[in-house]
Amino acid sequence: MSFELVKPGTNIDFIGKRRICFGLSVGMILASLIATQTIGVKLGIDFAGGTEIQVQFDPGVIVSEGPIREIVNAVEGIDDPSVVRYGDAIQNEYLVKFKGAIKVGDASVGKDKVEMIQQALSSEIGPLTVRRVEFVGPRVGAELRDDGLQALFWASVVVLIYIAFRFSSRFAPGAILAVLHDLLITAGIFVMLGLEFDLRILAAMLAILGYSLNDTIIIYDRVRENLALHTKHNLAEVLNLSINQTLSRTVLTSGTTLMTLGALYLLGGEVIRPFAFAMMLGVIVGTYSSIYIASPTLLLLETWFQESDK
Amino acid sequence: MSSLNVRIVLVGALVLLFSFITASNFIDKEQRLASPFWPDNGLRLGLDLQGGIHWVVGVELDVAIQHELEFQRDGMANFLEEDGVVLTSKRLEEGRLILVAGSDEDAAKIRDYASKTGILNEEGSEGNELSFVLTDDWTREIRERTMAQVLEVLRRRIDDPVRGIPDSVVTRQGKDRVLVQIPGGQIDRGRAAKLLKSTGFLEFKIVLDSAGSEQALLEKYPNGLPEDQMIATETDAESNQVVVAYLVRKTPDLTGDYLVDARVGFDQRQRSLVNFTFNAEGGRIFGDLTEANIQKPLAIILDNNVYSAPMIQSRISMRGQITGRFTSQDAADLAVVLRAGSLSVPVVIEEERTIGPALGQDSIDQGALACAVGFALILVFAVIYYRMSGVYAAVALTTNLVLLIGLMSLFEATLTLPGIAGLVLTVGMAVDANVIIFERIREELRLGKSVRAAIAKGFEKARWTILDANITTLVTALVLFEYGTGPIKGFAVTLSIGIVTSVFAALVVTRLMFEIYPGSRTSIELSI
Repeated sequence: MSFELVKPGTNIDFIGKRRICFGLSVGMILASLIATQTIGVKLGIDFAGGTEIQVQFDPGVIVSEGPIREIVNAVEGIDDPSVVRYGDAIQNEYLVKFKGAIKVGDASVGKDKVEMIQQALSSEIGPLTVRRVEFVGPRVGAELRDDGLQALFWASVVVLIYIAFRFSSRFAPGAILAVLHDLLITAGIFVMLGLEFDLRILAAMLAILGYSLNDTIIIYDRVRENLALHTKHNLAEVLNLSINQTLSRTVLTSGTTLMTLGALYLLGGEVIRPFAFAMMLGVIVGTYSSIYIASPTLLLLETWFQESDK
Repeated sequence: MSSLNVRIVLVGALVLLFSFITASNFIDKEQRLASPFWPDNGLRLGLDLQGGIHWVVGVELDVAIQHELEFQRDGMANFLEEDGVVLTSKRLEEGRLILVAGSDEDAAKIRDYASKTGILNEEGSEGNELSFVLTDDWTREIRERTMAQVLEVLRRRIDDPVRGIPDSVVTRQGKDRVLVQIPGGQIDRGRAAKLLKSTGFLEFKIVLDSAGSEQALLEKYPNGLPEDQMIATETDAESNQVVVAYLVRKTPDLTGDYLVDARVGFDQRQRSLVNFTFNAEGGRIFGDLTEANIQKPLAIILDNNVYSAPMIQSRISMRGQITGRFTSQDAADLAVVLRAGSLSVPVVIEEERTIGPALGQDSIDQGALACAVGFALILVFAVIYYRMSGVYAAVALTTNLVLLIGLMSLFEATLTLPGIAGLVLTVGMAVDANVIIFERIREELRLGKSVRAAIAKGFEKARWTILDANITTLVTALVLFEYGTGPIKGFAVTLSIGIVTSVFAALVVTRLMFEIYPGSRTSIELSI
């Protein structure tokens, strides 16, 4: 007989744990909201504006964050730069970030801050290459943020309509609630870990939205099917049955997705790492929410409608 | 031929075709173009992968509106003066033109004139202080015209026939922005920035006086400079220090508008210089100017910076040259800017993403490795977990990847780093559809159905689940594509195509394999 991670006939009472899980989720969401208020959301330069320069010193040049910071700080027009080592020590790479534009003065006489930094560092420390320069002006930053939030909003609206159309309007709120839950908690963990939000993370958030929905819809699909088959059972039983029937699939797909994301996290390079990390968080939270948030919400709504019908 | 055979042939042909398209991406570009066998185009690599400069350049359109108001003000003042209308004041304030008339009668005449232009709207006047703004139509017209001019000039500079940068992109983005992309390490970013941002406004002015510094020159005029004169300075490119300060008139004697060509040349000592040629009218003005000012220095000023101020030895008409403290590179860039013409309004860099070519290559290598490892893990897992059916899944997943890359190549989609992340994610999620089918088949087998019935029922039940789940994801991906910029768009493209191909792989390719084997045999145990 074949391998089976989830034994057939498994019957875990997921729905029975709904109160504990609601409590857990509400707690995590509250913690996320508190974190955004107390710790504050750290915006990357994509949204906050500013300049980021990645420099790589030639092999053999011995250097550390402190001196780089001092030299950059002494460059005209740069205040309070941050300098962190980037990637493995052997790479000899550093990331210099500061607020404000890369140019000083007006167009014709403006000196390029990147070139000034490059000159200062190479004359005082040693030969280096500028690997990457990113600069986002304040106007563009605000626009990118607005576009991103609009994308999130419209994606949710469109999905709501699709679910209401394909299933029934009572299924839609659970799916949306689960998605919001996932996004809030993933973002909250990011804030708590002091990680930066940038366009890559926004892309990850939107991918999480897609993944979480995918998961929820597969369970809902089974619920719809079972509702037609088992007319005598109450909804809670049908929900439990459906989650258990799809559990094997849920575990396998989440597992394989986590596996490839793990490969991306470990091998995909420094730039992709935050994306992979956010996605891994999202897959875990998304899987949890399809079971413990989306389905119980459906139950809650149905019970509520039945009682108001009486 | 039976229907099954037809499908085998169709799917087989499709897979072969896409394998061919996908494979062509791994052939060296030169070879690909030279051979009639391989398709010319394929996946494009985003600047984050191949390295290069990405700029979003903001065009200061408000300056164009300001210029237009100045133009209207001067035209109106001239006309009114001829008509004997007295203006006690004419000034510009925050995008409006304010004229103060001497009497009610004059105010009426101004109104009458302004309404005839069809360009000015009266707004917020008080008594004889008349306030005008440009009409909406005219404002739009000015903005469009300015954008077209800026785009044209920037294109000529980047795509210059002599020193153009291959494969560069200069396109309009939105209302007031220009996107400039220069792939690879074809030009260093400092030079590119100079080439882009230089206004390119060339002026020739007779030098009235000069000194070693601005300070020294000002000391010569204790009572202040005459109203129509100004100081222009020459700075050393290396040290950024002012070397000479010149006293010149505010209005230029001649501008670069009359230039027809500018090219790099060398003097007897092999120093770089720029040779320029005027058109007939410019030549005539230049001839008269030089003839009248022999033995005086002539300042050649670009963007308020004096390049040089050679002594006029004799009358010069059509041709001249600019010498100065610049390298051959600077001279070449200056020639490009002069040839392309001047920008009518300033531009600023609002966003920059410059990636070194070496870093781009590193990203490709890392992305490819992550993709390969992720893919291999999934294949191994599928075969261990589902055995023979896992092999089917492996074939379907490989087909999926080949179709995905093939379709992206066919559409000449741009593969970005977030795109690679999307690819890896798609690979991880693509197994989902197969898992849904296989789990369904296992369920049906457990219910005691025959192999053939279980397969049929499994696919039937899985079909709509797969479609529902993937359509919702596709919908979010399309919304992302619509609203997203940069990395989000790159990610959305890969994700959208990936969803379509993975559904095809599971519902068509996997299905086909189950029809080939076990097919209609009923007695054989299914390895799943």
